Amino acid sequence: MEKYFFIAFIIIFAIWYLSYSATRLDRLHNRVETSWANLDGLLQRRAAVALEIAKSEIADPASSLLLTAAAHQARDAQMRARSQAESGLSGALGLLLHDGHLVSGSIEKDLLRELSELTDKIRVAIALHVDAVNRTQMVRRKPVFRIFRLAGRAPLPVTYEFEADVL
Amino acid sequence: MNQKKLRIGLVCPYGWDTPGGVQSHVRDLAEYLIAKGHYVSVLAPVVDEEKAPEYVTSAGKPIAIPYNGAVARLLFGPIAFARVRQWISNGKFDLLHLHEPAIPSISLLACWAAEGPMVGTFHAAAKRQKAIFAIGPILEPVIEKLTARIAVSEAARSTLTEHLETDAVVIPNGIYADRYRDGEVVEKWSGNTIGFIGRYEEPRKGLPVLLEALPIIARFAPDVRVLVAGPGESKEVIESIDPQLRSRFEFLGRISEKEKADFLSSVAIYVAPNTGGESFGIILAEALAGGAAVLASDIPAFDSLLGHGEFGALFKSEDPRDLARVAIDLLRDSDKRRALAKRGKEYAQRFDWDVVAEDIYSIYEMALVGSSGVTLSSENRAWNRFLGREGS
Repeated sequence: MEKYFFIAFIIIFAIWYLSYSATRLDRLHNRVETSWANLDGLLQRRAAVALEIAKSEIADPASSLLLTAAAHQARDAQMRARSQAESGLSGALGLLLHDGHLVSGSIEKDLLRELSELTDKIRVAIALHVDAVNRTQMVRRKPVFRIFRLAGRAPLPVTYEFEADVL
Repeated sequence: MNQKKLRIGLVCPYGWDTPGGVQSHVRDLAEYLIAKGHYVSVLAPVVDEEKAPEYVTSAGKPIAIPYNGAVARLLFGPIAFARVRQWISNGKFDLLHLHEPAIPSISLLACWAAEGPMVGTFHAAAKRQKAIFAIGPILEPVIEKLTARIAVSEAARSTLTEHLETDAVVIPNGIYADRYRDGEVVEKWSGNTIGFIGRYEEPRKGLPVLLEALPIIARFAPDVRVLVAGPGESKEVIESIDPQLRSRFEFLGRISEKEKADFLSSVAIYVAPNTGGESFGIILAEALAGGAAVLASDIPAFDSLLGHGEFGALFKSEDPRDLARVAIDLLRDSDKRRALAKRGKEYAQRFDWDVVAEDIYSIYEMALVGSSGVTLSSENRAWNRFLGREGS
């Protein structure tokens, strides 16, 4: 009799554990989605600011052209090409701003300040997103999650490779 | 901060009544956010509920247990857990900010019980511990629920990476820099003085190292005096001092904030000979902001806080001779000392709450993206999704 109780206990525990693990993974997927939404929003805003800068007096015609192209590319890029396009935009912005020429006019100053605030936020957002993705990939590699296919049909999240030092 | 007003729940794992780094961090942050117009509620273990400020909710009386080499006042157990759950469901918070969620106290319970945007701040820096590996598998899924993690120092961050394999954003602890900016030079504390603030009875605060170094310092700087401020029984300590040196010591007892500012402006050197157990070293940030030339042991937290010696002098931890050597060097060269103090003071502005709280707030904003507030966690998330039910 005791033996049956024991087996029943094991089965109940196993069911609970699987359910708990599925919840855990679901939560992680959720975290990946929200952190990506956050990062995506910030990157979109950066592209918009970059376009503004391209139109403003900060940029000479040549860098303006470069910047506009890079910003559009970043906006239109598909998920997998996204990080490369964004790095391209970072590079273009870096080229323009590294020259360190004097900026006059309050609109231009506002633009540059907004850009630097956004850059700080993006840096943090990338860290949050990368952490969520790594975590999810790690958990999904665990045997329990693989054998019982707890991930369901959710796609494996892609790591966002961003050349942080270009920012 | 020109944003909408939030409902923020802060959880402090240590007893509110006992002074400590985490407690004062939580208190200052809560008061800063309240001043900005947010609704803030702090959940903490409290002994005397009468004395606690209005924004603090008690989760019960803390239990004193030895943890991580010191006696910590923590709280856990079913009754505490029930209170944590009640606080979360009554609070209707937009966001929870849990402090030190990896130690067995109410922050961990809150992390377990809640779901939604949660930010965790890790204060402690510890060496690699076997015990953590044993409880890692239990801790991992809980810590994983945090939307964003903050570490107060590089040391705390590497502890987190080693123990829980997760990364964090470094945001330092905050100080009210303007409180220390305009300290007045007090005659009786100035001259060739070495200042020390802290619970000097605790060996890890390093007063014994200073005691040992003093005879050497006195040989080269005959008029040197040591001023010790902070709570404690000075009698025993005084008896342990060599009678010939006793007259050089002055115990000031607990000092007020204003006195602290004056103290830091007056002393020639502020010394922090701590032998370990520090993760951040808030007192050093305050000493720098107060315009003191800082001399500290080279434990990792201090080394990184002082920019590897750029903003304050370092000596080899637990080495009285090295302490004496650097102290004498500073006492003799007042130009060098002043330049060091000036660099330090400018640098300390980055620890001001105006900067630090802004950084914390931008983490909040990121955690809030696409969320609809904090709820009690449901272990049925996956089932709901599977059955096609909406919500959560």
